[in-house]
Amino acid sequence: MAEKILQVKDLIVNFRTDSGIVRAVRDVSFDLHKGETLCIVGESGSGKSVTSKAIMQILANNALVDGGEIIYDGKDLLKIPEEDMVKLRGDKIAMIFQDPLSSLNPIVKVGKQLTEAMLLKSGSNSKNARRNFNGKLGLLVECRNAIATADSQRAYNEEQCHTFDNFCIMSTKLEGAYNEKHRVVEELKAEIEEKLFLIDKNQNVKIPAFLRLIEKQFPQTIHPDLIEENAETAALLARVSAGVGSARKTKKLDASARAAVDEIHALLEAALQKEKPNYFTLGYYMLKNPNDTAKIDAMELHELNAMTREYLDKNFMLAFIRESAKAIQYSHDRSIAAKKKALSETDALLRYLETEKLEKKATLDYLKGKIALVEDAIDRMEIEKDGAQYTFGSGITHAVRVYFRALKQNPKEQARFEKETAKWNALDAKGKTPDWKVVPAAIIDEEQAKENIRLVIRNLQASLRRDIEADGQFDAEAKTVALIDWLKEQASAVVYHVSKKMAKARAIKLLKEVGLPDPELRYNQYPFEFSGGMRQRIVIAIALAADPDILICDEPTTALDVTIQSQILELINRIKKERNLSVIFITHDLGVVANMADRIAVMYAGKIVECGTANDIFYDPRHPYTWALLSSMPDLDTKEKLEAIPGTPPNMIYPPKGDAFAPRNKYAMEIDFEQQPPMFSVSDTHYAATWLLHPDAPKTEPPKIVTERIARMKKKAQNAAAKEVENHG
Amino acid sequence: MAEKEWNPAFEVGRDAGVFRENEDILLRVENLCQYFKIGPGREFKAVDGVSFDIKKGEVFGLVGESGCGKTTTGRSIIRLYDITSGSVYFKGQRICAGLRGYKQELAKAKKAGDAEAVDKWKKEIEKAKYDHKNCNREYAKKQADAIKAKYAPKIEAATGEEKDRLQKEFTEELRLAKTDRIMNKMQMIFQDPIASLDPRMTVREIIAEGLIIRGVTDKKKIDEAVYHVLDLVGLVPEHAGRYPHEFSGGQRQRIGIARAIILNPELIIADEPISALDVSIQAQVINLLNDLRKELGLTIMFIAHDLSVVKYFSDRIGVMYYGHLVEMTTSDELFAHPLHPYTKSLLSAIPLPDPLTEKARQRIVYNPLSAHDYTVQKPTLREIVPGHFIQCNDAEEAQYRKELGL
Repeated sequence: MAEKILQVKDLIVNFRTDSGIVRAVRDVSFDLHKGETLCIVGESGSGKSVTSKAIMQILANNALVDGGEIIYDGKDLLKIPEEDMVKLRGDKIAMIFQDPLSSLNPIVKVGKQLTEAMLLKSGSNSKNARRNFNGKLGLLVECRNAIATADSQRAYNEEQCHTFDNFCIMSTKLEGAYNEKHRVVEELKAEIEEKLFLIDKNQNVKIPAFLRLIEKQFPQTIHPDLIEENAETAALLARVSAGVGSARKTKKLDASARAAVDEIHALLEAALQKEKPNYFTLGYYMLKNPNDTAKIDAMELHELNAMTREYLDKNFMLAFIRESAKAIQYSHDRSIAAKKKALSETDALLRYLETEKLEKKATLDYLKGKIALVEDAIDRMEIEKDGAQYTFGSGITHAVRVYFRALKQNPKEQARFEKETAKWNALDAKGKTPDWKVVPAAIIDEEQAKENIRLVIRNLQASLRRDIEADGQFDAEAKTVALIDWLKEQASAVVYHVSKKMAKARAIKLLKEVGLPDPELRYNQYPFEFSGGMRQRIVIAIALAADPDILICDEPTTALDVTIQSQILELINRIKKERNLSVIFITHDLGVVANMADRIAVMYAGKIVECGTANDIFYDPRHPYTWALLSSMPDLDTKEKLEAIPGTPPNMIYPPKGDAFAPRNKYAMEIDFEQQPPMFSVSDTHYAATWLLHPDAPKTEPPKIVTERIARMKKKAQNAAAKEVENHG
Repeated sequence: MAEKEWNPAFEVGRDAGVFRENEDILLRVENLCQYFKIGPGREFKAVDGVSFDIKKGEVFGLVGESGCGKTTTGRSIIRLYDITSGSVYFKGQRICAGLRGYKQELAKAKKAGDAEAVDKWKKEIEKAKYDHKNCNREYAKKQADAIKAKYAPKIEAATGEEKDRLQKEFTEELRLAKTDRIMNKMQMIFQDPIASLDPRMTVREIIAEGLIIRGVTDKKKIDEAVYHVLDLVGLVPEHAGRYPHEFSGGQRQRIGIARAIILNPELIIADEPISALDVSIQAQVINLLNDLRKELGLTIMFIAHDLSVVKYFSDRIGVMYYGHLVEMTTSDELFAHPLHPYTKSLLSAIPLPDPLTEKARQRIVYNPLSAHDYTVQKPTLREIVPGHFIQCNDAEEAQYRKELGL
C-alpha cells in the first residue's frame, strides 16, 4: 500500500447556532493514501462537506473544532497557525466546489483568474524569502556570539557570517541573471507557439512584427548555460531577418523563415531541458576568484558543479557548519531548559485559574508573565514552527476574556435562557417538534469556558513534553545542514520571478491538459461565455495551477447533466493518474462513484458508518444505510417499487442516543436505540458500524432489490469474463 | 387506420384545427417552435419543430442535455411563453397557436399571386388568433353546456323542495363551470422547491391559491380540499399552518406537488422535480408521483436528465438534442434498440452502481457534424417501426432499418 498522505483522526466539529450546538461531525477518522481516490458518500447534512472544509480550514465562523487531528506532511492542520495554513491551502491541498460559477469571478477573464495565483505567489514568495533569510542569519550570528568567550572569537563569527551573506548575494546575482535569460527563453517559446498556432488557424497575425520580435529577443537569450552563440544562431537570425522583408510584401510567412522559426523553437525547447548550474557553490568560487570567468565558461556543467562544491567545502563550509552547530546546540539546550521551566510553571498556572475568586486585571497581569516565559522557551533557530507555543499567548488571553464575560452574564438573560430551554425540552419529551424560537443572546457556559482555558494549556503542555522527550535525539549537525539548505532555498527564491507571459504560457498548457479546445482563443473570454462543463474544467485548471498533492472535489458534477458529468469524471480520473494525485471525492450519489472510487466511506449524521473498497461497498454492503442508499436508486433494470428511506435525517442539535439511523431503519434492533455500535471489521479493508455484525445478532439479509442487483451484476461480470476467454481462445 | 396514422413530421399547410377529440390522446404537440430574440435580427431557436403526442394515463419522459430545449417545451405547452409557430392541442382543443408559419405561407402565396391561397391563410391566421385567445372561454362554454344538459331534464322532472335544491346546485355548478379554464387541467411541478414556493405564504395559502382564483369561496370546502391533498402527498393537516422554510427539501417538493394536484388536473408537467433533491429523497418523490398517478389517473410529462430514473418512471421517452426531437419510442425499446447516435451517446454516459462494468464502460462521443450527412437531404422525424420515431433522412432510414434487421 502506498504511503499515507493525509490522516484524519477522531475529528469533531460542532456549530454554534442560535438554537443550540449542532454536532456536524462526530469522531470521523480516515486515511488517504498517495494516488488513490477516496469517495465520501452521504445525504446533505451528513457532515461530508464539513469534513472537507475542516481539512482546508475554511469552516464558517461559528464552527468549533472540538477535537481530533488532521495530519498532513507531519503537521496537524488544526494546530498550525493561519500564516502556515495559507501556504498549504490551494497550494498543496486544492478544492473544487459544486457550482463552477460561484468559484469564478464573473467580470474577470478566465486567463487572468488562472494566472492570478501564480503571479501573486511569485511576488510574495520573493519578499518572504528575503525577510526569512536576513532574519535567520541575524539570529545565527547572535547565537554564535552568545557562546563566544573572547572578542577575537566574536570577530571571527562576524566575519564568517559576513562571508556567507556575501557569497549568497553573489550567487543570487548570478542566478538572477540566469533566471532573466531563462524567462526570456520561456516567454519567446510561448510567443512562437501561440503565433504559429494562430497562423495555422488563419487568424489575423501581423507577421513582420512577429518576426521582428524574434529578431530582437532571440539574441537576448544567449547565455553560456542556455543557448550558446555560434555561427548557427547567426545564420538562423539572418534567415528570420530575410523573412521580414518578404512578409511585408506578401503578408505571409515564407517557407524558409518558417523553418528558421521552427528551428529556433526547437533550440529554445532544448535550452529549457538543460540542467541548472549549482549557483550556491559557484557564488563562493566567483567571490573568491572574480577573474576566472573564462575558465568557468569552458568547463562542463557536472565538472563545474563538482569543482565548486569541493572548493566551497574545503575553504569555508565545513568550518562554518562546525561553528554553527555549536550555536544551534546552545540555542536548543537553552530552549529545553526554558521549556522545562515553563512546563513546571503551567501547573502553577492551572492551579491559579482554578481558584475561586479571580479578578480580571490581576489575572491578565499574571498571565503576561507566564506568556513571556513560554515565548522565551521557543527555540528560535528552528525552521519549522510549533503552533502550540507560538499561538499560546493570543489563545489563552482570548479564552480568559471569554471566561470573564461568562462570569459577568446578565442574570435576567440567564433566567430567560433557562426557561426557553426547559420549554424546548418539555415539548421534545412529548415527542413533538418544537417550533423554532429566537433564543436569548449568546449565553456562555461557564464550565465550557473554563474547559476551553484548560484545553489551551493542556495543548501547550503536550507540545512541551513532546519536545522535552525528543531532546535525546537532537542532532545539531543535521539541523545545521538543514538550516543551510533552507537558507540556500530562500536565497534562490529571492531571485525567482514568474512574469505575466510565463504565467500565461503555463495557463495555456493547463487549459490544454483539462481538455479545453483552442485555449489560445479561449484565454481571453469571460466565464459566462462557457457552458457548465467547460466552466468546471476551468475551475479544475485553476485548482491544478499550484500543482497540489491533494484535490478535494465537493460534489463537482451535481450541477451538470449526464454526458457532461461523465466527461468531468473521466477528466478527474485522467489527471489523477497523470499527476499521481490523491483525490477526496464528495457526492450524494452512489451511482457516480463506482467508476472513480478506490475506497468509499459512507457517512450518516456526522459519522462514518461503512468504509471499504469500491467492490466491498457495491458487492457486499453490510450497513442498513448503505442498503437503503443502494435500494433507493433505480438502475436500468429496476421494475419494482423503489424502497425509499422513510423520514428525514435526525436533528443534530439533539443527536440520537443510539445508532443515528435506527429510527429510519427497518432492521433496527432494541440495542440500536440504546447504544452506539462500534466499528466491526468485515475484512482487512472493510468496516461497518452496525450491531447486525455482532456475533449475537440475528442473521439478516439485505433487501431483495439489492441482492438481486448484486446477483445480476455478478452474472454480467461472469458473462463478460467468459466472453473474454472465448475471444482469446 | 387513416385517423390513427398521424405523421409527427408536420408540414405547415395541413388542415390544422380540424383535429377531433380523440379519447386516447390527451396532448398533441404539432411542429412546436419557440424562438427567442437575442439581438437585432438574431434569434435563438430553443425549440425547433417538435411534434409528439401524449396518451391518456401514460408517463412521457423528455430527456436531453441541459440547454436542449426540454424545459422550454414544457413551459411553452403550459403557455408560460407565447410560441412562435405550431399548435398545441389539449383535450381536443387548440390551446396554443403560433402565427409565424402561417404568415410565411401567406407571404409565399401573395408572391405567387394565388388569391385562393391568400384567402385561406388569412382565415387560418384569424382562426389561430381566435383559438389562442379564447381557448378558455370555448372550454367554459362547453362545460356550461354540459352542465345545462345534465340538469335540465332533472329539474324538469323534480317538484317542490327537491326542485329548489336542484336549482340551487345547478346555479352554483353553472357559475363554476362558466369560470372554468382548460389551462387548469394542466399543472406544473418545478425543479427548485425552494424558489417555487412563496416564503411569505403558509402552506395552506400556497395550496389553496389555485382554488381561490378558480372562484371557490366556501372556506370549509377549501380547507377540506387542502387537507385532502396534503393527505394524498403524505403530509399531515398540522403542516398547513407552517411556512415553506420549516420543511426539508423532500417535503417542500411534496407541497409543490400538492399545489399542482388540488385543481384535479389531467396532465402534470414535471420539470426536473427530483434533480435538486438528495438520492434518498428522490426515491420518496418518485414513489409518490407513481402512487398519485395510479390513484388520480394522472398523465405526466416528465422532464429530466437522469436517464435511469426516466427509464424507471416513463412509459415512453422522447430524446431531444438542440431543439429537435431526435428519437421517440417506448422506454424499453429505447434502451434495447437505441438508433440515433445521440441516444447511443447519452445511454453510454449513464453511471451505474457496479464498479466492474463501470470501469470497463466506454463513453460514445456524439459529434453531429461527423455523424450525419445532411447536405443532400434534410432530416425529418420518421416512424421506422410502429411507435419508434427517429429523426433521419432517406439514407439513414435505410441504415437504421438494416440495424434493426428489417
